[in-house]
Amino acid sequence: MRHFKLESLASKLNWRFAGISSVFALFLCTSLLAQVPTEYYKQNCVSCHTIGGGRLTGPDLKDLSKRQDREWLVNWLMDPEGILKSGDPYAVKMQKESRGAVMTRSPGMTKSLAIALLDLIDEESKLEKSQFAGSQISDRPLLQEDIDEGLALFMGSTKLKNGGPSCVSCHVVNSLDGLSGGRLGLNLTRAYARLEGRKGLSAWLISPPSKMMNPIYKKYPIDEEEILPLVAFLKNETEKDAPENTSAMINFLLFGIGGAVLLLVLFDLIWNKRFRAVREPMVKGN
Amino acid sequence: MNENTFFDYLNLFWFTILPYVALFTFFIATIQRYRGEAFTYSSLSSQFLENKVHFWAMVPFHYGILTVLFGHLIGFLCPAELLAWNSEPIRLYIFEVTGFIAAIFTLVGLFNIIIRRTSNARIKMVTTTADWVVIAIIVFQVITGVYTAVFHSWGSSWFASSMAPYLWSIVQFSPEIAYVTPLPIMVKLHIISAFVIVTLFPFTRLVHVLVVPNPYLWRKPQVVRWYWNRKKIRTTSFKIDRK
Repeated sequence: MRHFKLESLASKLNWRFAGISSVFALFLCTSLLAQVPTEYYKQNCVSCHTIGGGRLTGPDLKDLSKRQDREWLVNWLMDPEGILKSGDPYAVKMQKESRGAVMTRSPGMTKSLAIALLDLIDEESKLEKSQFAGSQISDRPLLQEDIDEGLALFMGSTKLKNGGPSCVSCHVVNSLDGLSGGRLGLNLTRAYARLEGRKGLSAWLISPPSKMMNPIYKKYPIDEEEILPLVAFLKNETEKDAPENTSAMINFLLFGIGGAVLLLVLFDLIWNKRFRAVREPMVKGN
Repeated sequence: MNENTFFDYLNLFWFTILPYVALFTFFIATIQRYRGEAFTYSSLSSQFLENKVHFWAMVPFHYGILTVLFGHLIGFLCPAELLAWNSEPIRLYIFEVTGFIAAIFTLVGLFNIIIRRTSNARIKMVTTTADWVVIAIIVFQVITGVYTAVFHSWGSSWFASSMAPYLWSIVQFSPEIAYVTPLPIMVKLHIISAFVIVTLFPFTRLVHVLVVPNPYLWRKPQVVRWYWNRKKIRTTSFKIDRK
């Protein structure tokens, strides 16, 4: 009997060990995947930097190694905010050129990953046209049809091809009426201006660097054909620069409170003949 | 330890370790309690002691909380379908406003629960510390939820695209906390307190959720008279003498 119990305990421990090992194995796989510099670059760098495609929010990284020495660049990738705080003149100059935008430490950055990324940038710089030269978004004039299509994509009435959530889930633009858009993310009325036009905004939409959007759109990227209409819609919003719809939140609150009061009245009516008490009415009756 | 590493560890604790502690405690302790003290699986209703405020407390609270929980469950089980439903603004607004009305309803119920348990002498007598802990954590949960609904809308859509994958990653033993770590603080507190509720569940009257007497809806009425000490049976330490 004792032997059986011990055996059963051992079997339970094995299962636990297997469970814990699986969790660690999954963590390990995830972190190893993050180490592949090409994938890492796609997920974390392309929205602000091209290699040979010109400046976006951050500088063009072509021939980066010719501009700064390797040690400085590794340190920069490991802790950009720290170097900026130290007042490093080259970092301050870059920040000025980026109109004040601050590069943050990318998730999971290690010294070996930083070196691998710099090697990748060097290799890509040698090519006539790097795979990271930037998005191939058309330069054609934006039409009213593009704006309408962009509005439908923003609101979700046209689904994003790869299954990602529509912008209105988390974002608002001032021209929306009714209960307006989501308020988890930023107001996008001036996003076109903030990201410095078509190129910057397109790069952002192709691979959103925001911590909230990145894990979602990494799985369900916005299709290239959907970028231009969204850019057209957001450009139009920036140009219109409509005043903010401040009544949307108040209306939502009023709907909630009013609905709850109505429901309370309704419940009172439905259960009007509910059992209230036995003893109290008897005492009062006497 | 730099600031980033400190917050990384905090996030790891709240969104990876706590969920598993909560789920492990929930399953082990609920089963253990049912095997050892099945008769303590009860809502410990005090309706016989006071029935007027009880109506305005329990009815709004239960209708409200069940509606809100059902909304969360839809987001968890059918995220793609929920996003499809929300693709028309009017349908999104209907879903959100319905959930918000239910949340306000829950708050009204909770307010009356507190009034009833603090103002009625008989109800005070049968209220334990565990009851106050449950009330406090649920009040916190509902207030952070209402705040989220108003200031971080539209929760039904971003729940489907952020929270559902996170929760499924927990279920699949491959936690992906990147979905939740960038969320605003009130949303994070809402998630954390939900896991705290799951942890407390087996040790409080919340276990009545698992033994809802649905047959009451269709069985014939029956008269029940107790002949034991009412006050005594309402304490958690009460055990039936089997001699």
